[in-house]
Formats: sequence, C-alpha cells, structure tokens
Amino acid sequence: MDGVGGPRYTPRAAEAAASMSVLGNIGAGWVEKGRMWRHFFALLWGVLRVTPWPRYWPRTTRNVLARQLLFTGVEASRFIALIAFFVGLSIVVQFQYWLTKFGQTQYLGPVLVMTVVRELGPLLVNFIIIGRSGTAMAIELGNMKLAGEVRALDAQGLDPFTYLILPRVVGAALSVFCLTIIFIVVAFCSGYISGTLFGANPGRPLLFVESIFGALQQADVLNLLIKTLLCGAMTGAICCAEGLSVGTASTEVPQAATRAVVRSTAALFIISALVSLATYL
Amino acid sequence: MSTTSILRFENASLAAQPPYAQDLTAITLEVAAGEAQLVVTDMLPDGFPLADLAAGLVAPDEGRVYFAGTDWQARHPDEAAAARGRIGRVFEKRGWISNLDVDENITLAQRHHTTRPLAEIEAEALALAKQFGFEDLPRMRPALLRTGELRRAAWIRALLGAPTLLLLEHPLRELSNAAGAPLLAAVQAACAHGAAALWIAESFQGLENSRALFSKVWTLAGARLAAAKE
Repeated sequence: MDGVGGPRYTPRAAEAAASMSVLGNIGAGWVEKGRMWRHFFALLWGVLRVTPWPRYWPRTTRNVLARQLLFTGVEASRFIALIAFFVGLSIVVQFQYWLTKFGQTQYLGPVLVMTVVRELGPLLVNFIIIGRSGTAMAIELGNMKLAGEVRALDAQGLDPFTYLILPRVVGAALSVFCLTIIFIVVAFCSGYISGTLFGANPGRPLLFVESIFGALQQADVLNLLIKTLLCGAMTGAICCAEGLSVGTASTEVPQAATRAVVRSTAALFIISALVSLATYL
Repeated sequence: MSTTSILRFENASLAAQPPYAQDLTAITLEVAAGEAQLVVTDMLPDGFPLADLAAGLVAPDEGRVYFAGTDWQARHPDEAAAARGRIGRVFEKRGWISNLDVDENITLAQRHHTTRPLAEIEAEALALAKQFGFEDLPRMRPALLRTGELRRAAWIRALLGAPTLLLLEHPLRELSNAAGAPLLAAVQAACAHGAAALWIAESFQGLENSRALFSKVWTLAGARLAAAKE
C-alpha cells in the first residue's frame, strides 16, 4: 500500500499501535466497569423512585416481599444472633477488661458504639446476607431466566422489575436493617453477661446501657441507617441484576452467583468506607 | 358481532434472532372482537414469534402491531404491562413459575392486575377447572403435574378474568382430539362475549369439526402468512 495513500507501517508505528491497543484495552475495561456500576445504581434508583407509590405494590408484589422478608430476615435471625453472641463474647468483654484495667471505663460506651454500632454490626450482617441470601437471589433469578419464567411473567403483564426486583431489593434492605439491630442488641447483651461471668466488671446493667446510649450521636444513627438500608438495597440490586444477566447456558448461573457475591462485597466495603468518612470526618 | 379491532398486524416483519427460529415478513392480519382466527405452522416450540409480537413482547423490525387500537411501541412500559394483563395466553411450552403452585400460577395475573377478592378469582378458576375436567384446582408445583394436565391448566389460566384477547399456542398438543372439545366450546363462548382469539396450531388435527369457529385460517408460506380460507 506504500505510496497509494494507505498507512505506512514501520516498527516504531507498530510499537505505538501496540501500546495504544494495550491502553485501549485497559480503557475499555474501565469503561465496561463504569457501565456495570451505572447499571446497578440505575436499578437502585429505579427502586427508590417507585417504592413509595402504592400502584407498584399490588398484592402479588407484596407477597414476594413477605416471602423475601421471611427468608432473608426471619430465617437468618437465629444465625445472626449466634454470630452476635460470639462477637459480644470476644470483643465486648475484651474492651470491658482492658478499659477497666487502665481505669478508662468512661470510654466503654464510645468505644463500643464506634466498634459495634458504626462498623462491625452493619458490616458483618451485610456480609452474612450477601453470602446467604444474595447468592440465593442470583441463582433463583438466573434459573428463572434460563427456564423462560421471566418471559412468562412479562407475557402476563407482570413487569419483572416490579414483581422480581422491587420486593427483593426492599426486602434485603429492611432485613439488613432489622438484623443489624438484633446483632447490636445481642452482642451487647452477651458482652455484658459474659463480662460479668468472667470478672471483667462491666458495672451495673443500667450504667452499661447508659454509657452506650450516652455515646450514641445523631451521626451514629444516620451512619447505621445508611450502612444497613443502602448497602442492603445495593446487595439486592446487584444480585438481581447478575441473576437476570444469565443468557442461555446453565453454566452461567454459578458464574452469575460468584459475580454477585464479589460485586456486592466490593460495593459493601466501598459504601461503608465512604459513609464512615463522610459521617465522621 | 362487534367489529372493534383487538389485534392488528400492519405489514409487520421480524428477522429471527434467538430464541426465535422463524422470520416473519410483511404480516398483515386483523382480529376483531368476537372473532377467532387460526394460524397453522409446524414450527418447533419457542421458534415462532407471532404470539410474542401480538403481545408486544418483541418489536417488529418493520411495520406495526396494534392491540386494542394502540401500537405496542407507543405505550409506556407500565401501560403495556397492564394491557398484557388483558391477554390470556397458552404458551407453546414452559410458561409456569416453578416456585408457585399451579393454582397460584393460574390466578397470578388476576391477583396482580385486579383488586378482585381472591375468593372470587378462585371460584371463577374452579368453575373453569371443572369445565376442563378437573375436580379441583391443581394445588401442586407445575413439575409434579402431568404434561396433558398442565396443558389443560394453561387453558384455565388463559380464560380466567374474561380476557380481551386469547393467544393460544398449540393448546391441544399432548392431548387427544376429543380432549379439545371443552376448550373449543370455551373459546367460542369467550368470542361470543366479545373476546378475540388467535389460535396457533401445528396442524388441523383436533380442529377438523371446528373450522366454522375460525373466520380466517392462515398457513405459513416461507416467512409470510397466506390466507387459506376467507
């Protein structure tokens, strides 16, 4: 093509083209990631936008929400309480022990609020819900898509967004919030009781409760609400989106479940970190 | 008989993409209220996109498809979903939500789109079930019901709630010829009450004595529908 007007390839030009291709590939990867997160946030925004309106909550959707709350919230509560019991046993007792030892018991409330209420509670509960219910959501929706059930719903006028996504996202958010409250209460109770049993000297029960409530600030409540409701909703949105992204092969279902866990976990840590920074700095 | 147009294909064409296996070219047909039409095709399940086009689930590449006088493409998604709630459909295959019992599947669209009391919906479903040879509504998962029974349960679902349009894809498949008589009678009754019906079958088997029910019969010739009887 030389001399005919076409591009002239020299080793240097080839090298430049290769490096541009590498840069292009890196850029394309990031663009794709950006699109994916935009899709998740758009789904979440869609849910937030329609949730207050009763017309998006016909009795069938309410039934799915009730089932979701039962599965994600009620059925997980015993396991969450068990984890909270051991967290109380190991962490709260240690704080009681060391703060008593150094004569700094006045900091017991703030330290417990900072550790359990602000960070550990929401993070652990979200983490458990991702593993327990998020994967189930992605697999269930993936299998429904594969079996043509999503199309059958659509053909009967049941919008998959209203019937499948909306109740799951709202159910996940409410469940994470309620389970986090259970987690915090059980962790403090088990911490106090085991502290008493193991001689960590937590003081009178009323004093213990007062020190915790005294340390709670408005920002802590806001932090708790965002980290439970937003992260729970995000988990629901990501798991639903990944489940519904399944195409035609059954091997795509476990892949979708894996992606749902990885991306929900990433979203959880990013949102938690950003909320902590925004709330307390 | 009313002449209100319920379903109208206006020069609609679709180049088949999976899961469809059949191109459709320049389809023009109109089904009015009170009328039933028959389309005969030997396409494999899931391969024939006519019912999905009629229900607005897939947009034609060219031309338009109207339901109750409005182009599907001109409807807001919420409005389109509500409109699909007025369509009773027997699916070619599948069409059942596996984690709901068959009776829940049958009443699902009515529970979703209407505020009718559940007892009233179930009473209507039970009456249809008895008409189609069931003692009671099947209260078990779809996977536990025999194929022929599942096909008859699909008839109940399609006819429940007096739909405006019936899309019946191979409704007699896996059934004996005689078994179709109650469905034919029910479709005739629905049409007498103003519904329109588009019946898709792979042959005339089971319909030999009922051709009078259909005002038009179409056969698939290549990618086009050819009128077999006026």
